[in-house]
Amino acid sequence: MDLLPSDDQQQIVDTIKDFLRNEAPVDRLREFGAIGNPDALLWPQLGDLGFFALGLPEDRGGVGLGAAEEMLAFQQFGYHLVSPGVFGLVLGARIAAFAGEDALRDELLGGGLKVGLANSRGAAGAADEYHLFEAEDAAWVLLVSEEGSALYPRDAFAEIVRVNSTDSVLVLERAKLSGAPRVAISAETDNIHDRALMLMGAYAVGMSEGARDLAVDYSKVREQFGKPIGAFQSIKHICADMAIRSEAALCQASFAALVMDEGSPDTPFHATASKMVACETAVRNAADCIQVHGAFGFTAEANVHHYLKRAHVADMMWGSLREQRRRILTFPTPA
Amino acid sequence: MDLKFTAEDQKFREEAREWLNANVFTERRPHGGDAMREYDLAWQKCQYDGGWAGVSWPEEYGGMGLGLTRQLIWYEEYARANAPDNHLCFVGLNHGGPTIIAHGDADQKREHLRPILSGEKIWCQGFSEPNAGSDLASLKTRAYVDGDELVITGSKIWTSHGHLSDMQELLVRTDPEAPKHKGISWVIFDMNTPGLDLRPIEIMTAPNHTHFVQCFYDEARVPLKNVVGGLNNGWSVAMSTLGFERGTAQIKDQIRYAFLVEEMIVRARDRYGAAFLDGDEFGARLAQLRADMAAARAMTYMVVSRAQHDVSPAMASLMRAMVGQVQQRVRRLAFDIIGADGLENPEDDDWVYFYLRTYATTIAAGTSQIQRNIIGERVLGLPRS
Repeated sequence: MDLLPSDDQQQIVDTIKDFLRNEAPVDRLREFGAIGNPDALLWPQLGDLGFFALGLPEDRGGVGLGAAEEMLAFQQFGYHLVSPGVFGLVLGARIAAFAGEDALRDELLGGGLKVGLANSRGAAGAADEYHLFEAEDAAWVLLVSEEGSALYPRDAFAEIVRVNSTDSVLVLERAKLSGAPRVAISAETDNIHDRALMLMGAYAVGMSEGARDLAVDYSKVREQFGKPIGAFQSIKHICADMAIRSEAALCQASFAALVMDEGSPDTPFHATASKMVACETAVRNAADCIQVHGAFGFTAEANVHHYLKRAHVADMMWGSLREQRRRILTFPTPA
Repeated sequence: MDLKFTAEDQKFREEAREWLNANVFTERRPHGGDAMREYDLAWQKCQYDGGWAGVSWPEEYGGMGLGLTRQLIWYEEYARANAPDNHLCFVGLNHGGPTIIAHGDADQKREHLRPILSGEKIWCQGFSEPNAGSDLASLKTRAYVDGDELVITGSKIWTSHGHLSDMQELLVRTDPEAPKHKGISWVIFDMNTPGLDLRPIEIMTAPNHTHFVQCFYDEARVPLKNVVGGLNNGWSVAMSTLGFERGTAQIKDQIRYAFLVEEMIVRARDRYGAAFLDGDEFGARLAQLRADMAAARAMTYMVVSRAQHDVSPAMASLMRAMVGQVQQRVRRLAFDIIGADGLENPEDDDWVYFYLRTYATTIAAGTSQIQRNIIGERVLGLPRS
């Protein structure tokens, strides 16, 4: 038993970390402009490096590693606020692989296509109403549900209306689902829903850690009353709380990934717990990070607000905290 | 990353489970007094006689000499078997004993270690003073050397179960001229020593629940050979014992609390009907605790993992801080679920007692504020306050 990455796994982490530090510093979001982000330009490179295929079995065209390696990768994607379009590629490729659509699978694994995300508007809309994230110029849209998951062509959605996105670096639309999926698999074939929740937990862990580090770094250099504000317990304890929450979220994300790799019946429980703990941590850490930055944190000149807004996207995706709380009570006591 | 235990670990788990199921004490543990002392010593002796005492203690001192993974397994099975927590043995098993193992001389080891494991002696702690709590190093209880004895005068407080204890791990100031961390000694103190007076302190759980005592030392004489780890070296000796307290001994609590949350779900369903899950805030709080307890357990696994990789022990503070908060939330919710019955505090209902008891979890062994200082400074590298 060991929850820490092995040497091989750490090598994967370091490679992704280096790549994203150079190619996707969070400053890119501010520099790109008011709306949208440049992350689709990263897809072919990330695809070439094999990062979309980590968790896919070799006989299905993947690298043949597991959920643990995917979890570690998505933790880094979250840390750098990589567009959630990355979920579309990784999960979409998995759907294509298990549906036997090898050509589509390989295109997705190579990062040569874009896949948007469809998310139910829940109580805010009718049953067929969705938000589409990062789907404007995407050929495909990923729709995840507990029963099964599918790739839809964009034109399966009707009445598509562009709306202002709260997370303004993402492109958001409203749409109604009117067409049929082109590539679909049932949860029995492969449970994309569990994996989506687990990976969103990992992504939110990364965001939580990103906000924590931003706050800690700032409180080491910002001085008031003649010393760094991090020397004051009022600030130090906020940072400590961010670290405690991040650690809890990281541990649960790691546990959930390993349980998934074991094929345990507790997988939905732990994936759900991971998403719950990590998304709430991401929101709270971002909020604390704003507070630590003072007035600067309230501006668009600091990167903090991106963490807060993305954390809310993560929470809402595939069922918010409120819905996940209902679900987690339906699972049997885990082993 | 790997959740698998080896075949040998699994075999150990089965043996532990089998022994616990056959031997675990099922009578309810008394909340205080000599009955509690007898109960705890008897259960400790039972474990010792069965060969299961002192999981982390070296074999040469009668322990099992097991690594962290086996300790984790033992504590998991211990909690699953609903084995009682013999709190009175805690200080001896997790502080006093390990300190003597790490820093004691041959005579100290021979005399003191086995009685702790075998359930003959209860140890208590004499660290805090009325004016030295979070700032422990400012302690003033004075001890001067007189021939081959130390002569101790002063006072200690918040000594859990001091009135039921045989021995005490005692921190005293042996060099008042030295800087505050440098003039302290760690001493083995016999609670039957003349010159010791105890004042019982009731705790908030219920009237007449004595948990702490305040200790008054008036020229109490201790053999100089009872100093452990060298005269004036007590601070570094004591810090190593606090490390034990923040480590593996917490494991079984988390598993126990996870079971409690499951029990609360059943009890809430029975009491309020299955529909409470959908609308009621109890449902939302139980759901959140279910997720948070899973995370707490995963944090325990991470502490064990980190220790195998020699990562800074300060990282364990993250788990301790999280677990303290979650335990308070669990007990508060348990109290809320029993509703108006919570206003009755019968001797045989643990839910009220433990709800009140849990206010100690963010105070004992370093308040949650001190924990946050440690995390801020030693984990995050923030400047000292």
